[in-house]
Amino acid sequence: MTIYRLLAKIACVAICVLFTQVLFSQKVVTGKVNDDKGNPVQGATVTPKGSKTGTSTDAQGAFSLRVPSSATALVISSVGFTTTQVDITNLTSVSVSLTTTSTSLNDVVVTGYGTARRKDVTGAVASISSKDFTQGVVTDPLQQIQGKVAGLVITQPGGDPNQNVIIRLRGQASLTGGQSPLIVLDGVPLDDPTQLSNIPPGDIASYDVLKDASAAAIYGSRAANGVIIVNTKKGSSGTMKVEYNGFVGAEQLAKEYPLLNVPEWKQASVNLLTEGGLTTDSANKIVASYDHGGNTDWLKAITRTGFVQSHSIGISGGTGHFNYRGSVNYIYQDGIVINNNKEGIGLRFNAEQKALDDKLDIQIGIVNTNYTRHYTQYGNFDYIFTTPPTYPVYNPDGTFFAYSDFDQANPVEHLTQELNQGKENFSQLYGTVNYSILPTLKVGATGSLSHFNKQTGYYAPAFPVEGTVNVGNNYNYNTDSKKGDLHLNYNNHWGLHNFGFTGVYEYNYFTDDNFYAAGQQFLVDQNQNYALQNGNSSLNQIGSYKEEFLLISFLARATYNYNNKYYATASIRRDGSSKFGVNNRWGNFPSFDVAWAISQEEFLKNVSWLSYLKIRAGYGVTGNSEAITPYNTQFILGSVGRYFDPSAANQYPQSYAPTQNANPDLKWEERHGTNVGIDFSLFNHRLSGDFNVFSDKTKNLLYNYQVPVPPFYVPTILANVGDLTNKGLELSLNAEIVKGQHFSWNAGGQITSVQTKVTSLSGSYAGYKLSTDNIPGGYAQGRGLSTNPITVLKVGYAPYTFYLPHYEGVDQNGNQLFDSAGTKVPYNNAVYRYIDPSPKFTWGFNTTLMYDNWSLTIFLRGVVGQKVFNNTALDLDFIKRLPGNNVFKDATTNGIKDAATASDLYLENASYARLDNLTLGYTFNKVNPHIQTLKVYVTGNNLFVITGYKGLDPEIQNADTNQAYIDANYGGYGFFPRPRSYTFGVTLSFQ
Amino acid sequence: MSSKNASPYKKNVMTTKKSYAVLLLVPIVIAIGISCTKLDAKVYSVVQNANFWQTPAEIAAGVAPAYAALTAIPAGNTFEVNEVSSDEIVIPIRGADWLDNNVHSQEWLHNWPVDNQNINGAWNDVYNGIGKANFTLSVVNGLATPPSNLAAINAELKTLRDYYYFLAMDMFGNIPYVTSFNVDPSTVNNSLGRAAIYDSIVTDLVANIPLLNTNVDASTYGRVTKWMGFALLAKLYLNAQVYTTHANWTGAMAACDSIILHGPYSLLSNYFDNFAVGNSSILSNGENIFVVPMDRVNIGGNNWEMMSLHYQNNLNFGLSGSPWNGFCSTADYYTNFDTTSVYTIKGSTTYRTYLDQRSGQFLIGQQYNSPYQYPPSTNVVYKADPSTALQDLQFSIPLLFTPLVGQISNAAGSFRMAGLRSIKYFPEAGTAGGQSNDMVIFRLSDIYLMRAEADLRANGTMSGTSLGYVNLIRERAYGGDASHDWTAPQATLTNLLAERARELSWEGWRRNDLIRFEVASGTHYFSAARTPDKTQDADSHWQLFPIPKQQITANPNLVQNQGY
Repeated sequence: MTIYRLLAKIACVAICVLFTQVLFSQKVVTGKVNDDKGNPVQGATVTPKGSKTGTSTDAQGAFSLRVPSSATALVISSVGFTTTQVDITNLTSVSVSLTTTSTSLNDVVVTGYGTARRKDVTGAVASISSKDFTQGVVTDPLQQIQGKVAGLVITQPGGDPNQNVIIRLRGQASLTGGQSPLIVLDGVPLDDPTQLSNIPPGDIASYDVLKDASAAAIYGSRAANGVIIVNTKKGSSGTMKVEYNGFVGAEQLAKEYPLLNVPEWKQASVNLLTEGGLTTDSANKIVASYDHGGNTDWLKAITRTGFVQSHSIGISGGTGHFNYRGSVNYIYQDGIVINNNKEGIGLRFNAEQKALDDKLDIQIGIVNTNYTRHYTQYGNFDYIFTTPPTYPVYNPDGTFFAYSDFDQANPVEHLTQELNQGKENFSQLYGTVNYSILPTLKVGATGSLSHFNKQTGYYAPAFPVEGTVNVGNNYNYNTDSKKGDLHLNYNNHWGLHNFGFTGVYEYNYFTDDNFYAAGQQFLVDQNQNYALQNGNSSLNQIGSYKEEFLLISFLARATYNYNNKYYATASIRRDGSSKFGVNNRWGNFPSFDVAWAISQEEFLKNVSWLSYLKIRAGYGVTGNSEAITPYNTQFILGSVGRYFDPSAANQYPQSYAPTQNANPDLKWEERHGTNVGIDFSLFNHRLSGDFNVFSDKTKNLLYNYQVPVPPFYVPTILANVGDLTNKGLELSLNAEIVKGQHFSWNAGGQITSVQTKVTSLSGSYAGYKLSTDNIPGGYAQGRGLSTNPITVLKVGYAPYTFYLPHYEGVDQNGNQLFDSAGTKVPYNNAVYRYIDPSPKFTWGFNTTLMYDNWSLTIFLRGVVGQKVFNNTALDLDFIKRLPGNNVFKDATTNGIKDAATASDLYLENASYARLDNLTLGYTFNKVNPHIQTLKVYVTGNNLFVITGYKGLDPEIQNADTNQAYIDANYGGYGFFPRPRSYTFGVTLSFQ
Repeated sequence: MSSKNASPYKKNVMTTKKSYAVLLLVPIVIAIGISCTKLDAKVYSVVQNANFWQTPAEIAAGVAPAYAALTAIPAGNTFEVNEVSSDEIVIPIRGADWLDNNVHSQEWLHNWPVDNQNINGAWNDVYNGIGKANFTLSVVNGLATPPSNLAAINAELKTLRDYYYFLAMDMFGNIPYVTSFNVDPSTVNNSLGRAAIYDSIVTDLVANIPLLNTNVDASTYGRVTKWMGFALLAKLYLNAQVYTTHANWTGAMAACDSIILHGPYSLLSNYFDNFAVGNSSILSNGENIFVVPMDRVNIGGNNWEMMSLHYQNNLNFGLSGSPWNGFCSTADYYTNFDTTSVYTIKGSTTYRTYLDQRSGQFLIGQQYNSPYQYPPSTNVVYKADPSTALQDLQFSIPLLFTPLVGQISNAAGSFRMAGLRSIKYFPEAGTAGGQSNDMVIFRLSDIYLMRAEADLRANGTMSGTSLGYVNLIRERAYGGDASHDWTAPQATLTNLLAERARELSWEGWRRNDLIRFEVASGTHYFSAARTPDKTQDADSHWQLFPIPKQQITANPNLVQNQGY
C-alpha cells in the first residue's frame, strides 16, 4: 500500500504547486454551474480562491460575484460534487461543469431513521455505492460488496446459487444467537437477513454499514451484529430515463479433487490386496470384478458448464413534485452441478409525491420478487468419492448404471432423477408520509407489510438396486411482519451551534408458520409430489406450526455540532419484546459518540496536504435475542411423539410434555462496544481512508448450559450467563494515484483483524450455579468418525477452537502415532492440543485503471492465518477404502494403514489470495443524442486462488455454524464446488 | 433553516399555528405509544401448562412421555454399554468403520474414560425418564380437580420411575436420587450410596405394587402392570447381593412366583413370535410382561436391523437402506448355543433347520440373494446356486459370516464379515431402521430362569418346580421335544448362565448377569479376559460405570465412583 500512498503524494504536491498567489482589485464575474449531465446545480457555493465570502447559485445554476481583479480563480463547491476551480484571469463569464464527487465526505450516509453527510457522521459507518460494486456473476446482492468493507466478512459457502452468503460483521458476538447483521432495506428491517438474496442486485444503489455498537445502537435489540442499510435506486425529476443492465456468462469447475484415475486406482487396489496376502492373480481378479467398463471422473460427471444471465430494466423520471422509478429484473443461473439452478423475476416500484408547498412528502414502494430454485442434495456429493472410477455413468443402452452399497450410489442418477425444488415469493409494501410543520420540524409515519413465502417440493423415485421406495413431500413456510413507526425530526442552528433531534415510536409484529405433507409408495412416478394423497395412506405424514412475537420500541437521538468542528451524538432506544418474561420485557440501549474535525481548526487550515481529518470515539450497547424463541420463557407443553394405546380408537395418540426448561429470567444478550477511529483525506482528497480500533464485550451471553436432570426437566437450559469479547482493527484506504484527462488510476483496499474470545461460561441462574466448559462444537464427518468432536467451546479461546492430537507419522505397520509430551504414542494415549483456526486478518484490494474509454478493474481479496480442517482428506487419504471406493492420490503415499483418525495432520493452513474479479470495460462516446451511457464489459470471477490449502477451496464457512472451519463432504455436510466464471455485460441508459 | 422571504408577521402566525399543531401531535403520539406497548403474543402450536391437564385424554397424553423415554433403552446407549461391556456383543473396528473416537472398543476392552459419550448417553436416557416421571407426578398431584384415577396414575408412574432408578443404580451405583420435581438443584448430590438407593427403590416399589392394574389386555399394553412391578422387584432382589452385599434369593423367588402363579402369561410355541414385526398383536396370554411399543411410522427407536446387519444384507431382507455392519457376537459366546441342525435339499438349495430354535437368531455362513424366511430357525438357505451368493461389494469377496472376531480392529476385507449378526428382532422389509417390532424388557422366560437361579442359590439344589419351569423353556426351544430337558444334576449355575445366554441373548441383561454371577462366586465372569484383545480387569471398579464427566460438569456436587 505504501507505494500507492507515495505516488499519490507526489501527484498531489505537483498539482498544489500550480496554484499561485492572490493579487488585488475588483471585477464582476457571472457564470453558470451545471452538473456533468448538463443540469443546473442550485445552491453551489462560489468563492474567489483565497477568500471566505462568496455567493451561491440560483435555481438555474447562475451566479454573479464581485471579486478582486487580482483573483485568478473561483472555487465552486456543492454537496455531492468535487470542488472545482476555474481560471478567471481575463474572464468575466464562466461556465462550469461540476463532476460528481469522488471523495465521499459529502455523500449522504443513511444512519438509521435519518441521514447525515459523511463528514458529520460520528460512528464507524462504511458506505459503498454502485460504482464500487463487484461485477460479473453477481446474483446475490451481498456478492457486490464482498471483501470491500473493512470489518465485514462475507463468505459464499460454496458455488451453490441457492445457498445464502454468510455475513459476519466484526466477528462473532453470540454463541447461540443469530450472527448475521440486521439488514434494513429502504428503511424497513428485513425479518430475516437471508431475504436480501431475493432482491435483484441491479436494483441496489448503495450500502451503508453501521459497524460499531454506538452507530448500530439506534437499532437496539436487533443490532448486536451490526446493521447493513441497503438503499435501492430512486427516480429523480427530469426527463424520463430508461436503464438497461444485463450480462450473460458461463461458469466452470475451478478445481478438481485429486482422486485416482482408472490406471492409478487399479494399481493401488492390486498393491493393497497383494500386501494383504493375496496373490497377484487373485488380486487382479478381484480388481477386475469392479471393472464395469467405465472410465469416469465422477466430479466432472456431476458438473457442467453453467450458464448465467441477468437482465434489468429500470424506468425513472418525474416532474416537479413527483418522481418515480420502476424496474423489472430477470436472473437465471445454472449451478455447475447438474440439475441445480435458480431463476428469479422481480418487480419494484417506488414513487414520491410532494404537495402543500413541498411540506407534505409521500413515498410509497412495492417490491415483489419470485424465485424458482432447483436444489442439490449434498448427500449425493459423497458418491463421487465412494464410486470407483471403473464404474460407468450409463449402461450401453443409455439407462443409468445402477449400484448400491453403504453410502454408495450413482450420483448422476440421483441428481438427475430427484426433484428438489423451491419457490419463493417475497413482497414488501411500504409507505411514508412526512409533513414539515415548521422548516425545522418534520413529523411523519411509516408503515410496511412484508410477506415471504417459500414452498419446497421433493420427489425421489424408487431406485431399484438400492431397494428404496419412492417418496414425495411438500413444505410451505411463511414469514410475515407488519411494522409501523411514528417519527419526528427537528433540526435547527443558532449561530454556529447545530442541533438535531429525532424521536421514534416503532411497532413490529412478526409471525412464522409452516405446514407440510409427505407420502410414499406411489404407483405412478410421473405425478411426482403433485398427488401426495395417492401413496400408502398409512405412511402419510402431515404437520403445521405457527408462532408470533412483538417488538415495540421508543427511540430518541440528539445530535449537536459546533461549527462543523465538534460533534456529539447521543441516542437511547428502549425495546420491549414479547419473547421475554414479564420482568425483563424492556431493555435500554444507549449510545454516545463524539467527534472532532481537527482539520477545521485554524492551526491546521493551512496544512496544504491535509484535506480532512476527524477523530471519533463512541460507546454503545446493542442487543441480541435471536437465540430466544417466542415462547422460551414460558412454561409450555409441546407434542413430543406418539404413544401406543391399542385400546383407543386412535391407537397412536400424541403425547405432550415440556420441550424446554422454561427460563422466565431470559433477557437480551448485550454487546457493549467501544470504538475509536479516525477519518482522513489527504492531498486534496487524493488519498483518503479511515482507521478504527474496537473492543466489544458481549454480556449476558445466551448459551444452553448443562443442568442436572432431575430436578431440571431437560439436560440444558438457555440462560444469560457468560461473556465473550471481540477486539479488532480496521483500515480502509483509497487513493487516486493518477487523475489525468486520458488516464486515471485509483486503488483502494481494506484490512480487518478481529479476535473473538469466550471469556466466561459460568455464572448463576436463579441462585443455581451454572458452569460449562470444553463443550464439543464441531464434529469430524465420515465413516467411523461419529461421536468424534474436533472443535470445542473453551473459555479463554476463540469459539470453535480445535482440540486435536498432534500427528507424528506412522510406525512400521502403518499405525498412526501421536505426540504425548515428546514421545510418539498410539491414538489412545495421545495428548490433545488447542489450536485456534481463526484468521489473523482478512483483506481486500481493488484497483481501477481508466484510459479514455477503457477501464480495467482488478479486485483481489484474501485471508491470512486461517486454518481449515480438511475432513475430506481425512476420509479420502485412507488407502483401505480400496477397492470398493476411491481415494485421494495422497493415500497411496502417506503410509497410513490403520483407521482414519482425526488429528492436526488435516488441519491445514488455509490462507489465501483470490483474484475475485477482473473487469475490462469500454464506454462508448455519445453515439446518439438519446443514448446517455453505453458501456460494455467482460469479467472473470475467481480467476485464480493462491493458497497452500489442499482441499477444493479454502473459503469455507458452513451454514451450520457448529461446523465452522471443517471442510467435510460427507453425510450431507458439504461444499458445492466453487466455479470460475466469465461474463459479458452491457449497461445502457437513454432518455 | 427559516425561509428567507417570509415576512416577520407571517412567520409569527405560521409559527403559532404550527405550534398548536405540534402541541396536538405530541399527546396523540404519546397516546398511540402507550396504548401500543402491550407485548402479549399468542401461543399457537404449543399449549401453556396451565391450560393442559383438563380431560382424562389430556392427562393420558401427559403421562405418556414418561413411557416415551423407554424407546431409548432397549436399543440405545443403555443397551450398548450393558451388552458390549459383557461377552455378548462386540462392535469391532472394521477398516474406518466404527472407530467412532474409540467409544465402542472402550466398552469391550473395559478401558472407558469418564467422558465416554455412550456412557453419558445412557445416563441421560435413563434420567430423562426419571425427570419426565417426576414432572408428571408433580403436575397431576397438584391439579385443582384431581383425576378420578389419580391413585393408579401415581402407582404406575412411581413404578416406572423405580425401573429407571433400578437401571441407573445398576449401571452407576452412587447416583442422585430425586423423587420430587420441585427440588433446589443445588442440593442434589449422590452421597446416599448404592445400598440406600436400593432400599428406597424397593420400599417405593413394594408400596405401589398393590395399587397397580392386574389386567393384561389392550388397555395395559406397553404399560406398567402389577406383573411388571413384580418382575422389577424380582430383578432387584435377585441382585441384592451386588447392590447391598446382602443376598435376598427368597425374596426373588417370591416375586417370581407372584407372576408365575397369578399372572396370565404363558410361553408362545415359537420363540421368535415374541420379537417379530406384529408382536404388538399379542395383547394377552403371551409371554411378554413389559414391552416398549415401536412403529415404523409413529414410534422410532428400534434400529436393530441397521446396527447389526452387513451393508449388503438389505438384499436378502428387503431393507430400503444399507445397514451399518456393527454389533455382532463372538465365537466364544456362540459356544453357548446348540447348533445341531437338520438339512433338507430341494433342487439346488439346501435348507437348514436348527433343533434349538434360538440358534436361528444369528446369521452365519454364506448369504444368498433370496428373501430370508421368518421364523429364522427353520428352512434357512444354507447352500444355494452359487450365482445367487451375495458378495461384500467393497471387496468383492463372499458375504459369509464367521463367528471368530480375532481382533478389536482390523482393516482387512474379510474382517467385515467377522462376527455373528442378530436377527432376533426380525428385520422389517421396506424399512431402514425404525422397525415396528415392539422391544421386550421383561418376559416370562426370564422370570422362570430367575426363579430357578434364586431357588438354586437359596437352597443349593434346584427344586422340581423350578426345574419344570426351566424345562418349559427348553421344550419350547426344541419345538416341544422333551428329550433335551435337564435332569436334576444338569441344573447347575454354570448351565443356568448358559441357558440365560441362549434364551435372553441381546435382551440387555448380560452385564447384570455376569456381575451377579461374579459377585456370588468370585469367578471372573464379567472381568475375565476375552477374545478379541480384552485382558482381565485389574480390579473390580469396572463393575460400575463412572459418573459421566459431563454430569459432574452440570452438577459439581456429584462425587466420582471409586477407581475412576
